[in-house]
Amino acid sequence: MTKFSIPFKLRVSLILVIGIALLKTSVWWALGSYGAIALCWVIFLKPSLKILSQLLGAELMLLSLLALPMGYEKASFMVSRSLLCLLIMNSFLITLPPHSLGIALKGLPLPTSFQEIILLSGQYLEILISEIRQMQRAAKLRGLSGSSGWLRYTSAAMIGSLYLRSLDRAERVYHAMILRGYQGKLPLESQLTRGDNFAIIFVIIITGLLTFSSYVKN
Amino acid sequence: MHIPDGFISPVVAAVTSVASAGFLAICLSRTRENMGLRYAPIMGLTTAFIFAAQMINFPVAGGTSGHLLGGTLAAVILGNPWSASVSIATVLFIQAFLFADGGITALGANIFNMAIVGVWVGWILTQIVQQLLGGSRFRLPLAAGIAGGISVIAAAIGCSLFLIFSGTATATIILPAMVGVHSLIGIGEGLITASILTYLITVRPDLLPGDQPQLKKWLIPVISTLLVAGVLSLFASAWPDGLEKIAEIQGFGELAENVRFSIPTPFADYSIEGFGKIGTSITGILGTVICFGVAFGIVQIGKPNQV
Repeated sequence: MTKFSIPFKLRVSLILVIGIALLKTSVWWALGSYGAIALCWVIFLKPSLKILSQLLGAELMLLSLLALPMGYEKASFMVSRSLLCLLIMNSFLITLPPHSLGIALKGLPLPTSFQEIILLSGQYLEILISEIRQMQRAAKLRGLSGSSGWLRYTSAAMIGSLYLRSLDRAERVYHAMILRGYQGKLPLESQLTRGDNFAIIFVIIITGLLTFSSYVKN
Repeated sequence: MHIPDGFISPVVAAVTSVASAGFLAICLSRTRENMGLRYAPIMGLTTAFIFAAQMINFPVAGGTSGHLLGGTLAAVILGNPWSASVSIATVLFIQAFLFADGGITALGANIFNMAIVGVWVGWILTQIVQQLLGGSRFRLPLAAGIAGGISVIAAAIGCSLFLIFSGTATATIILPAMVGVHSLIGIGEGLITASILTYLITVRPDLLPGDQPQLKKWLIPVISTLLVAGVLSLFASAWPDGLEKIAEIQGFGELAENVRFSIPTPFADYSIEGFGKIGTSITGILGTVICFGVAFGIVQIGKPNQV
């Protein structure tokens, strides 16, 4: 496992993703360079390859469907570019310790209330998924998993009921957080060291040069 | 409607990013006051709920699918459009950075379309339509459903304009195509929004806004007429009317082409060339405004002077 802090890894991942996103279309040599950097970053982070390939496989199918109408070359570039971005961000997320997203967010230059909403959304997404599983189990126990089971899931009553159940649980979780001293401020694992700052500046320079030269050289 | 990277020009991306960032800063400052004990879980859960709902696509037509935008739903549940804009912007931010759904360079444009235009058009129209329907809180689901559907079309028009300004597509192709597809998606959005709110207002009415004051009497026919001319006209039948059909069958339809003087009519057949159904909508609204203006002018000229 790496010795670098979560805020450092998040910043580097985001700088790489933004650099890739700003690349001029169809500049393959620059995309290839970023591909090499992304592979080095993945080796550095050491994520679980099985989980990473499952995530990328699902996302690749969706990207391909979106990009196909654009023509072969443009579509290939767009899909490859998006895939690199996903590779970098998914590698970071998979290697993030549980419930450390708040620590990661603290390192971003975003307004505090925005960071809090992102953190709460992530927490409550887990609650939503848990409530869905409970409702599925309850339906199965009542013998309601026939061929028209899909109709129940799309009915307004089910969706509304899911929202209200999740809301009750979300309020309990939030009250528990308040009772344990949560005041809307996210925890911070560690400050960035001087070495971290130099490394981040180095990454910014490299990505800046790569992205800029994709516009100039072509 | 998530615009990927490379679809909009750097200028459009920069302008929309600055505009969205500025507007979101205002929304955040308004929302911060509300981030209390009761409100924070509602906001966090609504954001997570909209995120999950946007992942579920429903088929619309011809190999196309759509998904819930959720701007109107978020605005109604959260009780104000400021928080809803922040909520939808959060969803778009997470989607762009973690799932490559929508480009990072296009994030500003996506936030402008869906978190600002989609939310505010939905919220304002919900208020208006609810007041139009009498103002009762039990009219809220129907009002929000109608507003939700129209907000999707408004966001699609915004998206089309960005693509036109970027030179990615021409107006005559992109506008009718986007409006056409998103009219169908808007129906799905309206149905989902209305049905969820119907359930919530039955089970937990305390979560939703209350009664609204009824609209001033003179506004009711004005807004109703604009909604009919601008929105319902999108669903008008393209088949010929009774006389045209008989002329076709009897064979005297060509007589209409034998005119001695042809007067140029820019909006012939209630359409604008190349704009498809959106052209019908624009001509409908223009015609309504012109008719009102002419009738108002005639009354002003013809009314006796007051002593």
